[in-house]
Order: sequence, then C-alpha cells, then structure tokens
Amino acid sequence: MATKGYGPKESTALRRGTVEGRPLTPKERERMLKSYLPPEPPSSSPSPSRSSTPYQRRHHHKKRRTGIVRHAVHVAIYAIIAAFFSIYFRFRRAYRLVKSKLAAVLFYHHRTPEFIQRDIRKLDRLPKHLSVIVDFHESDEDQGTAGIEGLMNDVCEIAAWTVSAGIPNLSIYERTGKLKNYMPNTHSAISLTLESYFGPRRKPTLSLRAPHLQSYSPPRTPDFSTQDPAEAKHDRQHLNVLLLSAEDGRDTLLDLTKTLSQMSQNGNLHQAQITADLIDAELREAVSEEPDLLILFGPTVVLKGYPPWQLRLTEIFHLPDNKGVNYQVFIRALHNFSRAEMRLGR
Amino acid sequence: MTESIHNSRIRKWLAASPPVTWGVRKLRELLIGALRQGPIPLHVAFVMDGNRRFARDHKIETVEGHNLGFEALARILEVCYKTGVKVVTIYAFSIENFKRSKYEVDALMDMAKLKLGQLSEHGALLDRYGASIRILGQRELVKPDVLDAIDKAVALTAGNKRAILNVCFPYTSRDEITSAVKKTIDVYSKPTGSHPSLSKRPFSETHITQNIRQQMLKTVPEEPSDQSSSSRSASPASSKEQGSADAGHSSATSTLMNRSEKGDAHLAPPSFPDPETMTAETLTNNMLTAGAPPLDLLVRTSGVQRLSDFMLWQCHENTSIVFLDCLWPEFDLWQFLPVLVEWQWQRKKIQEHDRGRGRQKME
Repeated sequence: MATKGYGPKESTALRRGTVEGRPLTPKERERMLKSYLPPEPPSSSPSPSRSSTPYQRRHHHKKRRTGIVRHAVHVAIYAIIAAFFSIYFRFRRAYRLVKSKLAAVLFYHHRTPEFIQRDIRKLDRLPKHLSVIVDFHESDEDQGTAGIEGLMNDVCEIAAWTVSAGIPNLSIYERTGKLKNYMPNTHSAISLTLESYFGPRRKPTLSLRAPHLQSYSPPRTPDFSTQDPAEAKHDRQHLNVLLLSAEDGRDTLLDLTKTLSQMSQNGNLHQAQITADLIDAELREAVSEEPDLLILFGPTVVLKGYPPWQLRLTEIFHLPDNKGVNYQVFIRALHNFSRAEMRLGR
Repeated sequence: MTESIHNSRIRKWLAASPPVTWGVRKLRELLIGALRQGPIPLHVAFVMDGNRRFARDHKIETVEGHNLGFEALARILEVCYKTGVKVVTIYAFSIENFKRSKYEVDALMDMAKLKLGQLSEHGALLDRYGASIRILGQRELVKPDVLDAIDKAVALTAGNKRAILNVCFPYTSRDEITSAVKKTIDVYSKPTGSHPSLSKRPFSETHITQNIRQQMLKTVPEEPSDQSSSSRSASPASSKEQGSADAGHSSATSTLMNRSEKGDAHLAPPSFPDPETMTAETLTNNMLTAGAPPLDLLVRTSGVQRLSDFMLWQCHENTSIVFLDCLWPEFDLWQFLPVLVEWQWQRKKIQEHDRGRGRQKME
C-alpha cells in the first residue's frame, strides 16, 4: 500500500464505493480525490492582470518562485536518474555481452547437426514455422557482418541451425529486401552451408521463395546414392526459406486494398464479402502464414516494419542487449517457445 | 512464523499511516516531475495482462483481480498524463475474450459500466485532467446498457483536448485492419462524377518493381508476352525511382495502353477515385487510432511475449515494445519508471546516431 501513496480508507472507499459502511456520494469522492489531482489548468484560473490586488500579486510571485525552485529540483533529479541509469545500462550490457560470449564458447555447435539436435532434445514442442529479423549493416563497425556478404553469412547460418533443429519452414525478414535481388546466389550460399553442416550425402533439400517472385529451386545436384534413390529421398530433410522485406507488410496490404476497391468499383465485390478471413486467405497466399516464433537478434524489440497481419499470435523472442546473429539467441528462443502456453484469449 | 506475521502487520500499519502515504505521494510527484524533463513518448499502449494470474496467486476471486487491475490502470494513467503522454491506449477486452466464462465476462462488463458511470458523475474533475475517452472496437458486440454508459462517458469528455484515453473494448487488431480496408474501399467505390477517368492508371508501382526483380533473375525463364500484360503503370514516383532501366520498356507499352484506355472511357460512364492514389497513410487514417501520434511505446505485463492481436498496424514499425514479468495489478510507477528511463536513453542514443550519420554525410 505504501508504494501507492494512499491509505486504507481511500482504497476501500474507491474499491467498494462505501465509506464507514455507508455508500459514498459523488461529493465525498471528489473531496477525497482532490489531493491526487493535478493543479488547475492555467486557462481556467483568473488571469494575472494589472487589476489584481497587491496581495494576489505577491501571492502569485511567491508561487512563481516556488515553481522555479521545483523546476530546478526536477532537473537535478532527472540528471541524477539519467546518469545512474546510463551507468547501469552500460554495465548491464557489458555483463550480458561477457556472459553470451562465454556461453558461445562453452556451448558451441561445432557446425554439426547432432550437437544442435542434442541441444533441443528435451523440448516438448518446436515451432513449425520460424521467422527471424536480420539487419543489413552498411558500415563495418560490427565485426565482419557488413554488407551483402555479412547478411548472406547470417542467413546461411540461421538456415543451417533451423534445419538441424528439424524446423521445416523459415522466413527471413530484412527491411530493405536486398537479398531478394540475389536469389540464385543466396540459394547456392545456403546450400553450400548446409553441405558443410550435413555433408554431401545427407544434405537437406532447399527451396527459396520470396513473395510475388517465382520460387527458386534449381535442378537438384546429381544424387550420390543413385543405387537407391527412393531411400535417399526419404532420408533427406527439406527446408523452405522465404525472404521477406518491408514491402510485404503495409504495401502488400495496400495493394490488396487497391485491388479490392477496383473490384468493388467494377461491381464484382460486395461490402459484406470483405472479411478478415478473406484478407487472411489472400495474405497467406501472397506473403506467408503466421510464424509460430519470431526471433529478433537486436538488443530491443522493434519490429522494423515486419508484415503486421502475420504477427497476430506470434511468440516474439529477443535477448536483451544482444547484438548480432548468434546461436545462443536461437537456442534460447526455442527453449522459451516450448515453455510458452497458448490461451487464445481464454 | 508468528514473528514474521507480526512484523508484516506492523509494516502494513506503518505503510498505511498518514505521514508515510504523504511522503510517498510527494516522492511520486517528484519523480514524475523529474521524468518530465526528458523526452516523453507521445503515445503509449498497455496490454493489461495478468489480472487472473494475480488473483490465482493471491487466492482471491478472479473478479477481484480485475478490480485490482483497474486500480493499477488508474495509477498508471496518473503517471502517464502527469508526465505529459498525450495518448494512452489500453487493451481492455479482446473479441476473443468472449470465449471466457459467462460469469467473468458479465462481471467485467458490470465493472466497465460501474466505473464509467462513476466517471460520469465528475464532469468538472475530468476537465482538469483534460483527457477524452474513446472506445475502440466492435460496438455491436456490447450489451446496450453498457453501451449507454460508454456513450455517456465519451460524450462528457469529448471536449477535452489535452490528452486521449483509447480504451480498446471488444477489439482485435485484425478486425481493426479489416474495417479500415472496408472503409477505404467504401470511400473509393463512391462515384465522383466530377471529372472523367483521365487520371486512371492501369499500372501499379509494385508490379514494376516485381518485374524488374524477375528480369534480374535471368535463370528464371519468362515469356516476353507475359511481361507487357502483367506490368501495368508508371506513376510519377515510380518512374523517378526506376529511372532508365524502365524507360524503354514503358514507352513501348504506353502506346498500346493508351489505345485501350480510350476505349474504356467510352464504355464506363460512372467514374471513381483512382485506387492508385491510395497510400499507407490512407489506411492509417482509417484505423481506429486515426489522428493519434505514432505509437512510441507498447508495454505488456505478465511476461507473455506476444502481441495477441493488439495494435499490429500501429506497432510494427518503430515502436519500442517492452515485455515485463510483473503482473498487471502489481504494475506501478516503480515498474514503469525504469521502462520510461530506458526509453529516454534509447531515444537519446538514436538521436546521437542520426546526428553522427548526418555529419558523416555532410563531410
């Protein structure tokens, strides 16, 4: 109760609407609330004009002086709070950075799917559709993750972890959509990484897709196990990778609205036919389904234009103060996901 | 054991004593006044999650948990408006919540009615806060008696201009987006009749970008006839962006399109506003939060890391989203203060970063 700044009498009065056993009248409630209210707005108070009496003027003067003092105190406290938290945030970030680096050394996946599988063995459930947000860095301040190559590198690693964990669908969001211009390169880069993880015999098959573009899956590399192709095919995992960018969010919804209004103008569409289900079906087909889990590799939760419609019930994971793509975030996100319960409003 | 109970009783008595409550109140005011000195988010949204779990943990009735949640809301609104937040949006009731037990739904509705009714008794005091209440959501799903109380409170506070309290009552974000789409289509399906369809452009900017992408994918086979029919339009904005790459292509198709357009103009007498003039802004203005500043901060309590169909359109760009582990009834200035300070800190970092970048460009 102490932290709230009001006594037991007030709290029961406001909660039950009674004071000392009898109902509270609006008048009494107003009186009780008076001390908690902000001061009268300046507009409603009588304006300090020349006609005011000396007493009023002196009173006003005094008020202004206390106002200045109060302002100074506020500025001072603000400076103290800001300084204190600034130090605290820096220490926290340093501490977490050290911790994550230690974890990265101790629990390294050694680019081996079996290690990754061991890390997730105890989990009850896994997402069927995983989504990640990655960044395109222009400058090279983040050790070797700049430019298209750095981005490609991150994407390849994430794809390899995903398929090692046994998740069949991965969608990768990057705001600018740069990767969409390099679909063949991205495809071959991911395949190469998968090969380095799984070896050529067990390498999972891969198809790469982006909304509105044709899916890119070139003719498969000649099978090594030609003697029994049926079995080999059965063995191999498959990974669907979907590339998303900012234009798959608002702009796609806008396009849909445009098309729908064109249809409506031509008289092909009735008002009642526009439902959430219709929009959902259209966007599902055009962009993607709702991902089960969204992993952010940034220090805070900012969605950077991720397609809004698809985010409805997606579990969002981020590691505070983390910077850049790393395996610890990925594995902790999966652990977190298996603990989360879905209630759907109930 | 008895000792600790005794102690806690003393502590409770002490905490509730007038000097202590007075001191705490002054401290709160001081902190709020201090926070005001930094940047303050203009629009904050809260998902009030954890009332039921709080009730379960403290072995009280669910309804009582909701009541405590309401008090937490009142406290946090006080903090928000005193620090200078212009718009607060709260997720009070989801359309999905109708799936809960009838008893609980009814109790929640009664509570809404009671609190709004109480509010309506204090017209003069509401002016002092200067917050106007708006209810966002599906009105048709609410019972008429609750609706009356809502309308009364909304009408009473409609004149207040200093701050806004958006209460999402039976609300889901998908529903909101759907109605925004509907509203937009409604506007665009009304014949204007004033000017003929000269402005009608059969092209779309996004199609062109897609086509350029597909052309870049040399390996994907594509029939030439397919290109001219599926690429439609060059609005001024797009031609600026796509520049020369597109120039030859569009001039080749333009003669063909012009001919067909003339034919169209004779056939279609009622003219409509051009759908290509729609922007994301149009949709934003048709959302329920139209006119409010962009959402700066979204706080969800009780450790659930989901948006649960709340403010999807508003929060998916630059909003800082914060997930807190405390339950909503426990949420107060002491939990909110670090969130606000961190937000202020990040805001300052971003500003510094932008300034640094601007300087780099200048050089």
